[in-house]
Amino acid sequence: MTATTITDTPRHRPLESRSAAAWLLLTPGSLFLILLFVVPIGYVLLLSFTEPKVSLDHFRRIFTTPLYTSVMINTFRTSLIVTLSCLLLGYPLAYVIARRNDAVSLIFLTLVGLSFWTGFLVRTYAWLVILGNRGPVAATFGVLGLEPPQLLFTSFSSTLGMVNILLPYMVFALLSVMKKIDPNHMRAAASLGAPPTAAFRTVFLPQSLPGVVNGSVLVFTVCLGFYVTPILLGTPRDMMISQLINQQIEELLAWGFAAALAVVLLAVTSFLMILYNRFVGLDRLWG
Amino acid sequence: MSFDASAGRAPTPVYLRLTDVVKTYDGRTNAVDGVSLDIRRGEFITFLGPSGSGKTTTLMMIAGFEALNGGSIELDGKDLARSRPYERNIGVVFQNYALFPHMTALRNIEFPLRMRHFPKSDIKKRAEQALALVGLSRFADRHPRELSGGQQQRVALARGLVFDPDLLLLDEPLGALDKNLREQMQVEIKRIHREIGITTIYVTHDQTEAMTMSDRVAVFSGGKLAQVAPPLEVYNRPANRFVGEFIGDSNFFEADVDPKRPGWVDIPAIGPVRVAEDHGRLPSQGTIDLLVRPERIKILTANDGDHMNALDMTIDALVHYGDSVLAIGTSRGRPLRMRVAGTPPAELKEGARLRVGWAPQDAHAVARS
Amino acid sequence: MPLLFAIIATAFLIAPLFIVVPMSFSTSTSFAFPPEGYWLGYYRAYFASEDWLIPTANSIVIAFCAMMVTMLLVIPAAFGFVRHRFAGKAAINLLFLLPLAVPHVVAALGYYGLLSRLGIVGTIFGLIIAETALSMPVSFLVVCAALKGYDRNLERAAMSAGAGPLRTFFWVTLPVLRPGILVAALFAFLQTFNESVVALFIGGRDASTLPKKMFESIRLETDPVIAVVSTLLTGIVVLAFVVPVLFRRKPAYVV
Repeated sequence: MTATTITDTPRHRPLESRSAAAWLLLTPGSLFLILLFVVPIGYVLLLSFTEPKVSLDHFRRIFTTPLYTSVMINTFRTSLIVTLSCLLLGYPLAYVIARRNDAVSLIFLTLVGLSFWTGFLVRTYAWLVILGNRGPVAATFGVLGLEPPQLLFTSFSSTLGMVNILLPYMVFALLSVMKKIDPNHMRAAASLGAPPTAAFRTVFLPQSLPGVVNGSVLVFTVCLGFYVTPILLGTPRDMMISQLINQQIEELLAWGFAAALAVVLLAVTSFLMILYNRFVGLDRLWG
Repeated sequence: MSFDASAGRAPTPVYLRLTDVVKTYDGRTNAVDGVSLDIRRGEFITFLGPSGSGKTTTLMMIAGFEALNGGSIELDGKDLARSRPYERNIGVVFQNYALFPHMTALRNIEFPLRMRHFPKSDIKKRAEQALALVGLSRFADRHPRELSGGQQQRVALARGLVFDPDLLLLDEPLGALDKNLREQMQVEIKRIHREIGITTIYVTHDQTEAMTMSDRVAVFSGGKLAQVAPPLEVYNRPANRFVGEFIGDSNFFEADVDPKRPGWVDIPAIGPVRVAEDHGRLPSQGTIDLLVRPERIKILTANDGDHMNALDMTIDALVHYGDSVLAIGTSRGRPLRMRVAGTPPAELKEGARLRVGWAPQDAHAVARS
Repeated sequence: MPLLFAIIATAFLIAPLFIVVPMSFSTSTSFAFPPEGYWLGYYRAYFASEDWLIPTANSIVIAFCAMMVTMLLVIPAAFGFVRHRFAGKAAINLLFLLPLAVPHVVAALGYYGLLSRLGIVGTIFGLIIAETALSMPVSFLVVCAALKGYDRNLERAAMSAGAGPLRTFFWVTLPVLRPGILVAALFAFLQTFNESVVALFIGGRDASTLPKKMFESIRLETDPVIAVVSTLLTGIVVLAFVVPVLFRRKPAYVV
């Protein structure tokens, strides 16, 4: 191409956007988020090694005190259990919704949405009633003549509550991928001689794996920092990191140490997000 | 450059004039690369070409949606470069119709009239006339989603015409319709063009549409104009091998001009064949491409004189179209296609070896590019 | 087989919502189920108690204001983001999604620190700011998705019909995008209305929200009015989501 044919004279006003216009549109939102989100997060970072004095003592304590390392391990373990439980319950549910395109799938979808949009606290309160020592579960044990076990304020009740709250996230993440799987693929597999389970295993499951990854990353990271439910339904004996943060602030007013814990939590979730972003792309996560 | 833009152009009054139009997206390659074209008032011209050949980009520049990187576009003597799309008086019909989903058919058609501040009483009358023109008066209050593809296309057409634009641009308007509906809409668009007489530019990659509808066809290739001519001329006398292969079915033979035997060219491996000199713009020497349309080749009988160019053809496959048969085969190792109209003769069988040929005036010589 | 699992999972999901309804009519002062008797006393208590009505009003005001600010920031940003190419696009994308990736406890700690320095901790204004930041990512994603699905030929058609940029925007672009924008606004409202962690940290005494009040009430396990609030909230969600689905009243041009 000869360069002389390209004469971008000013009289040809381009309709395409200029990046100046882009920045004009993006500046208010970006500025808001930098000043009123990034700065507060930075403040936590600052607090973690300057309160009460400039040092890395808080971090040293977190990683050397057995109590705190066991909280870390417990947080990971609980998050893993919650994630796997959500996957186990969510996958068949999402599968049914995605594969049957009828009233049944619409009912399921509506009920999942109903659960999703009812706040955490309504559902947490309900578990308090269900698992409480005057609740239906304890009553059932009583009818059977058994001593009801302590269900509430254990890591079991906390885990159950979190699974209940995070299950819709998992279902939606799975669904957004499963919906895109061409139903003809399963028909093709059947016509090629694959029985239903084999067709599922070889055709549907591999294509749904991105949804499994998305849902798991989403649930796991939310779970790591889950605040309300562990505090209300859990026990101080098996603390998760958010409970520890709460305890440090409410009982000890140890802001610096709480900030250091928050920074560790942030570092872990960021690491997971960076990993995810590297291999999948962050904007896919919320489908 | 002291090049006179009017030199060699049609003597009829020019309505739309494209002069050396250039468009580039990345600054290196030109999507449209120096297109010059004169269009007469009332003409129906088709931009034909494969995807990426620059035809739609050229249309978008005429409409004002894309800026030019070089050259100029004049409408009725006025340079369009300075006017925004909404300041031009040009109707556009898009491939996917682009009907406003939140407005009824009637509101869609009234939209350009309201935007152009037509008097209130006029708006209703004109919109209803336009709906009647496309035969959709009963569907005025339907939303686009309640109309079939063909009906949506008619609404889009009415919307593009209702404000008496200077030009009507259609960008692959029938691409999304099925075959029968497409033919019906071709007839419809031609009828409307006849009734209104509006200057129309029609973009398509479908050669049948181009052949049946246009006064002239502008064939695009690689951002340049390969040929601008009436449909039959484009078909019978393509300017180059690209046009000949893009439009219709073709046999192309590479042939050498024999400077010592005027009227004859030599096809390697087949031998010398006669060409009518008034048809081919034969150079005095060198290599040319010789085009013979498959329907011009016929099975020779004893009655055919020796003025026919004859060769032996081995039939490999037959494709039955109902109204004709396409025979695909070879002649001395070179591929050859022959189309026989009507009921195929008994000897036309797969595996058969036949004596076939064409008259010298049925071949068209194209200079090698 | 999958259907059975799906039914079990769904039952597990919605069982808690059914429990709260009878609880709200219970005469018991503690969380006993099944209730010993039924009355409407706690409904009367809810509608007579400032301790509950003020947080309810606060939540509505905060959610509405945060929704408005979110949309004012997010709609232009989405246009800039989807329609333009520019250096640093990936960074902008990250910035707008950041609040989703940061655990709310961390953000809450940061807001407590920053807003107390600014002297607006425990104010409705401070909460609106914080909740706006938290609700921006999802609204941004929804508006961006709507914009990506938007056929730009509609704008070209409007222009060739004689509409200038402003009229094209208000007559064509905005109406066509309206369903997506409404969904984004609804998400922003609900996200803020349900958000509890930041509200707990910076709500204080004067800007207590409904989730904060509920949290405290559950913790003290003394106030049966929480069952009434839970029932009302569930009822609102049922009205807003389930009823439209049953009657299939979707905006018809959004498929």
